[in-house]
Amino acid sequence: MNDTVTSQTRKFMTSRPLQKKQIVIDILHPGKVTIAKTEIREKLARMYKTTPNVILVFGLKTHFGHDTTTSFGMIYNSLDCKKKNQPKHRLSRHGLCEQKKISRKQQKERKNGMKKVRGTLNSRRIINFKKK
Amino acid sequence: MAAPGMLESDLSNAVTLLKNLQEQVMAVTAQVQALTKKVQAGAYPTEKGLSFLEVKDQLLLMYLMDLSHLILDKASGGSLRGHAAVLRLVEIRTVLEKLRPLDQKLKYQIDKLVKTAVTGSLSENDPLRFKPHPSNMMSKLSSEDEEEGEAEDGHSEASGKKSVKGVAKKYVPPRLVPVHYDETEAEQEKKLLERAKRRALSSSVIRELKEQYSDAPEEIRDARHPHVTRQSQEDQHRINYEESMMVRLSVSKREKGRRKRAHVMSSQLHSLTHFSDISALTGGTARLDEDQNPIKRKKIPKKGRKKKGFRRRR
Repeated sequence: MNDTVTSQTRKFMTSRPLQKKQIVIDILHPGKVTIAKTEIREKLARMYKTTPNVILVFGLKTHFGHDTTTSFGMIYNSLDCKKKNQPKHRLSRHGLCEQKKISRKQQKERKNGMKKVRGTLNSRRIINFKKK
Repeated sequence: MAAPGMLESDLSNAVTLLKNLQEQVMAVTAQVQALTKKVQAGAYPTEKGLSFLEVKDQLLLMYLMDLSHLILDKASGGSLRGHAAVLRLVEIRTVLEKLRPLDQKLKYQIDKLVKTAVTGSLSENDPLRFKPHPSNMMSKLSSEDEEEGEAEDGHSEASGKKSVKGVAKKYVPPRLVPVHYDETEAEQEKKLLERAKRRALSSSVIRELKEQYSDAPEEIRDARHPHVTRQSQEDQHRINYEESMMVRLSVSKREKGRRKRAHVMSSQLHSLTHFSDISALTGGTARLDEDQNPIKRKKIPKKGRKKKGFRRRR
């Protein structure tokens, strides 16, 4: 990172049950676009002496008219903790999880189809068999 | 040798002292015998008196008896070591010592009783004389009625009786049903005017006038933001919530509009030329700011609302 970009952490909190540390990061980047999440992760890894793959950064918000961005960060004790405790969409943004992309239309059609049918799959098979 | 000389002078002293002792002992015995005769005759009844004092009497008598026993033994040449009377004396002494504070507390009462017994009446400035007079607690109105009743001829007794009866009736509390209070238009206007006046008094124009004419030294304060609007307070609340909960809240269209309007108002050079509204003091027409006169919306019942989560302004 260049010298022109400075970051400051606030509201540091350790959460033992969730095995993580959470912070609020203020980044000053005069004359630049919003910093990418990967770069912020690397910076945090250097600050807290861990690898970047246990760090999660989300919720970036750049203040309109100013050159500052506020974001949230979570540093986990291990990759497993991170995988367990975070929602899938965040993990997929970091490349750890693949989310199934069923289109919205398909989901709704399936749901409406299920409304017409009663009972579990096995019981339905039995009933059909008996009918025949 | 000096010893026999001393003994001789001591001897004469001792003889005189012993004679004195003998006389005094005779006097004391006479008195004690007189007392015992009187007590046996029942001249000092102590049944209705203070039992505390009686206990004290008995204890003192016992003390005297033990003491005389000891003196007797010692005078006849016996030793006092391990004497049973010594222990008894010690016991009585301790009890008397413990009674002393009680005695002090009762001193006032006893003195007063004795004085009453002696003089036969209470003194003039005795607080006991100032007891409450329930007749003075009757209401003044009834007493007035009574007086009026008495002034009239032929009706005095009847009205007197009536008023007395009215006083003696049982108190029945009035049955009042709580009614909803709707502010009238006039009252609402008055309230708004009051608020506007207060706001105008604390506006920058009036404050500068005050500073100009007052003798107090000028204060320069490092203020965060002199105009803390409702919008800015809400923004601060929102930011605090977001940072503590580590979530990003969505902004509704209404909220966006409000923010935009507030931002536009503050970013223009409007505040340079348009001072705060002091029309409440000068009597002109009022300029309405959204901040000061928020549109009131219907309140949603608090019971259904959950406490969790971010409370938005609708």
